[in-house]
Amino acid sequence: MVIVLVLQILFVTLLSCLVGLFLIGLSRKMTARIHWRYGPPLSQPFIDIVKWFSQTAVSHGKLFDAGMIFSLTGSVVVVLFLPFGGICPLRGSGGLLVILYLMLIAPLGIALSAGEAANPYASIGVSRKLQLAFGYELSLLMILLSLMTYYRTVSIVDIVEAQIQSGWSLVQLPLVVSGLAYLLIMPAIMGIRPFEMIQAPQEISSGPMAEYGGKFLAFATLQHALNIYIGLSLFVNLFLGGGSNAGYFLIKLLLAFMVFQVIHAVWPRFRIEQAVRCLWRWPALLAFIGLIIVWVTTS
Amino acid sequence: MDRNNIGKWFKSPGNMGQKYSLHALYFCTGCGIIEIPPTITTRWDAERFGVIPVATPRQANLFLITGYVSVKTLRYIIRSYEQMPEPKYTVGFGSCPINGGMYWDSYNTIKHLDKYIPVDGWIAGCMPRPEAVFVAVTHLWTLIDKGMATGYLKYREHYTKYRRNQEKVLGKLEWPPLFSIEEENEKSREKVAV
Repeated sequence: MVIVLVLQILFVTLLSCLVGLFLIGLSRKMTARIHWRYGPPLSQPFIDIVKWFSQTAVSHGKLFDAGMIFSLTGSVVVVLFLPFGGICPLRGSGGLLVILYLMLIAPLGIALSAGEAANPYASIGVSRKLQLAFGYELSLLMILLSLMTYYRTVSIVDIVEAQIQSGWSLVQLPLVVSGLAYLLIMPAIMGIRPFEMIQAPQEISSGPMAEYGGKFLAFATLQHALNIYIGLSLFVNLFLGGGSNAGYFLIKLLLAFMVFQVIHAVWPRFRIEQAVRCLWRWPALLAFIGLIIVWVTTS
Repeated sequence: MDRNNIGKWFKSPGNMGQKYSLHALYFCTGCGIIEIPPTITTRWDAERFGVIPVATPRQANLFLITGYVSVKTLRYIIRSYEQMPEPKYTVGFGSCPINGGMYWDSYNTIKHLDKYIPVDGWIAGCMPRPEAVFVAVTHLWTLIDKGMATGYLKYREHYTKYRRNQEKVLGKLEWPPLFSIEEENEKSREKVAV
C-alpha cells in the first residue's frame, strides 16, 4: 500500500512537470504561429532546462536557495492533492481547503528567494505577484465556496465523481456563473497575458526571475510549469468533470490551455492596478452572484 | 542542424543544450541594434534556432555587442559579461568592435573589443544583415561542437591581463576582481618596466 502511494506520488509529480513543460513549449509554438513565425520546436523548454542545469549558477545567500526549494515543494504538494485522471495520491485529506492554503506557498517561496537577491526589479515583481494573488484569491475563494455548497463536500475527488454521474459543473445551471468567473481569473492564476505583469521582461527585466541564472532558472521554470498545470487542472477537475482516465483528462487540459493561449498570444498586458481593479470588479462580482444563486437553489 | 539527434544528446547534453538554447543579451547601443528587432520577430524569427532575447545578464549565455563601444558603454559591457553564468559566448556585431570601423579615430570609442573581454566570433560588415546573425549562430554551433568557443576560459586564464587593459581605459574599477589577480606577477612586471 505504501509502495503504491509512493509510486503514485512519483508518477503524478513527474508527469505534471512534463505536462507543464510541454504546455510551455506548446505556448511558445502557438504564439509563434499566431505571429506568422515558424517558432521553436515543441521540445524547446526541455532543451532550455538541460542547458540551465549545465551552467554555473550564482547564489545570493541561503534564503535564495531555500526559498526556491520552498516554492517548488509547495507547487509539488498542491499537485499531489489534484486528481490526475483517476489517480489522486492524497485523496483522503483535506481537499479544496488544503489546496487553497497550499496555493499561497509558491508565491511566498519566490518572494523569499527573490527578496534575498536585493534586486529592485525582483522586489517590484514580487510585490506585483502578491498583489495579483490578492486579486484573484477573493474570487477563487467564493467560487470554491459555491462548489462546496452545491456538492456538499470539500473533497475534490468527490466533486469529480459527482460530475461523472451528473455531468460537468460548467453546464449545470446554478454553477454557470461561477464557471464564468473562474474562466476570467484563470489567466491570473497561470500568470499569462493579460495578467503577465509579474515577469514583464520589457519593463521590469523579468521581475522575480531577474537574478536567477543556471539551475535557479531551471527550478523557477519548473515551478512556472507546475503553476500552469495547477491552474488548468483545478479548472478541468472542478468544472469540466475531471477525467475517468489520464488520457481523457490530458485532452481536456490541452483544449482548455489552447483557448487561453489564443488570448495570451494577441493581448497586451494590464498594469497592476488595472489588473487588481479588473479582478475585484468582474470576476468577484460574478463569483458573488454565483455564490448567491447556489445558496438560494440549494437551501 | 543536429537538434533531433538523440545519440548526441546523451553523449554531451551540456554542449547540445548550450547550442540550441542561446539566450541572447544585447545592449541597445550602436547602430547594429536596428538589425536585432527584425531578427527576433516575424520577418526572420530567430526563435526557431532557439535564440531568444532575455532581459538580464544572469539568464543569458550569448552576448551580442551590437555596434561601436564607447568608453562609457564598455564599463557596463564588462559588468554584464562578468555577471553571465558560464559557459558564455560573445559575438561582436559589425566592424566597429573589430577595429573601430568608422570610429577609428574617435577619442571616446574603444577600437579593439577583444582587448577587454574575450570574443568568440565576429560578424563583419557595416551593417551586417539579419541573415549574417544566423550565419554567426551556425558558426558558433560548430565552434561549440569542436570545443573551440572557449572565450570564457580565456577570460579566467588571462584575467590579470584583461583587468589591466580595462583599468587602462576606465581608470580604477569600482567592482572587485572576478577571479584572483596574480599579484606577484604584477610586481615583477613593474620591476622589469622600471
